[in-house]
Amino acid sequence: MGLTGKIASLFIVSIFLISVFSPYLANKDPDAIDLDSLHMPPSLGHPLGTDNKGRDILTRVIYGGRISISVSVLAALLSMGIGLLVGLVSGYAGGKVDTVFMAVVDLVLSFPSLLLAIGVSVLFPPGIYTVMIALSSVGWASFARLIRGQVLMLKESPYIESAHAIGCNNWRIVFVHFLPQCMPLALVMTGLRLGGYILTESALSFLGLGAQPPTATWGSMISANRAYINSAPWMVLSPGIMIAATALCFNLLGDSLRERYGIDREGRAG
Amino acid sequence: MNCYIAKKVALLVPLLFGITFITFALTNALPGDPVYNLVGERSTPEIISKVRKEIGADKGIARRYVGYVSLLLTGEMGRSYFTNRRVLDDIVAKFPNTLMLALGAMVIAVPPGMLLGLIAALKKGRFADRVISAFSISLLSVPVFWSGLLLMLLFGLVLKLLPPSGTGGLRYMLLPAITLSLPALGTIARVTRVSVLDVVDMPFIRTARAKGIASSRIKAVHILKNALIPVVTVIGLDFASYLNGAVLTETIFGWDGIGRFTMEGIIKRDYPVIMGCIIVGTTLFVLSNLVVDILYYYIDPRVRIRGTDR
Repeated sequence: MGLTGKIASLFIVSIFLISVFSPYLANKDPDAIDLDSLHMPPSLGHPLGTDNKGRDILTRVIYGGRISISVSVLAALLSMGIGLLVGLVSGYAGGKVDTVFMAVVDLVLSFPSLLLAIGVSVLFPPGIYTVMIALSSVGWASFARLIRGQVLMLKESPYIESAHAIGCNNWRIVFVHFLPQCMPLALVMTGLRLGGYILTESALSFLGLGAQPPTATWGSMISANRAYINSAPWMVLSPGIMIAATALCFNLLGDSLRERYGIDREGRAG
Repeated sequence: MNCYIAKKVALLVPLLFGITFITFALTNALPGDPVYNLVGERSTPEIISKVRKEIGADKGIARRYVGYVSLLLTGEMGRSYFTNRRVLDDIVAKFPNTLMLALGAMVIAVPPGMLLGLIAALKKGRFADRVISAFSISLLSVPVFWSGLLLMLLFGLVLKLLPPSGTGGLRYMLLPAITLSLPALGTIARVTRVSVLDVVDMPFIRTARAKGIASSRIKAVHILKNALIPVVTVIGLDFASYLNGAVLTETIFGWDGIGRFTMEGIIKRDYPVIMGCIIVGTTLFVLSNLVVDILYYYIDPRVRIRGTDR
């Protein structure tokens, strides 16, 4: 891993640690309204200023990151799980099952992804679980296609033939022999896509489909404060920087994973 | 040739059916009965059942789907629950705005994106490559709703050079088009770089060099032409997704296009509007992919011979 990859991983690890330990690091209540200090510019007491309800922005950025990152990571893992299942079954079963599954995959991929995510998330009451469902109902398809390709390749290998020969049943072959072989690829792919998940999560929160006020997420902080952008730009700057920096680090990490494992070469991040 | 294109066109039919089905299923699973939104809080059960009949909500879901598809086949999309205007009319009226914005964004993004990608690839591993790669991956990582707000703040509110929001001529279009073009520029630069690097090592480039063709001609003709295929795909995909309404950018800048129309429909639970927008948007998306596939056929002789996709 190159220097950039290392720096990116370091940043991601620190963000994770900050998110996990946020109650100990930030001693203020992220949702506490303080009417005496509305729209305060950055100062010693409030390093990133306060918002339109006098809440400390640094604290909200820390707690918001907790939600934004965990939602994105869980959604990516959920997509991976669904994609693994569909890809394994589709690739191994072949025939009609494969045709049907891949038709569904093509259908999902033929929708513009943000539009489909919005379409799915309006089905449920807004909240973090809704965002997770929306992200993974869009994201699983590319995982499924990738895993299916891997299974088709592995199917021909001698050890699978031997497994058949000694009489392993289908479940055993899929879960004991194929699954471990597909896991590294699936995990690398998850890493590659995380930057995209962070961006889509923030877009859905920005549109008001994610966690509801007063709970902070990076996306919702930007949409709630955008009316004050001229008079108090710091309210919008810091959450945006956090989204961009986190997505950038995931994308950089993705690039070094890509270089190392030589997959997904279309050059798209996310 | 006709076989390849005919196959691609034939695949459209089940795809479009699938799209109407998913869209219909999605919108009908939406929580919140639109009837209550329409009649308001103080209405009698008689009025509610009358409105329900008017919009056809009293029939079963299967009959409504069949009804909707047959409506679509006659070139109709129903009327908005709220404005009672024909959805198709509104989409047709707003589409030129969206098209203009998408074209503007591509005009801004494509030339510099391809140029940067080419430079990065030819200077691989050197300083220029690193700077360009860092720049293009950063463009991909910034959320558009944030970069849009920053551009609005800088050019619209602080410097007061351009109107911060609204729909209108070139002056209004500039900020949203730049916002949209940023991630596209990053993607195009990255894809160009990767595909040029793929081509540079090919035997036919070595042959061209051995024949003594000038290096500038090799770069301009041999490398770029062959590296173009993935780049065309990306441009096509990006353009297609902008056509179907840049939901975020249009919402921020108050640009009166399909994206904002979709978002308003979703907020008001205006089913005919949501369905119409998603179906039109996705159809455009699928059609642009088809155009890209057909373009391949002409750019890449290998597709012509194999008759399959890439």
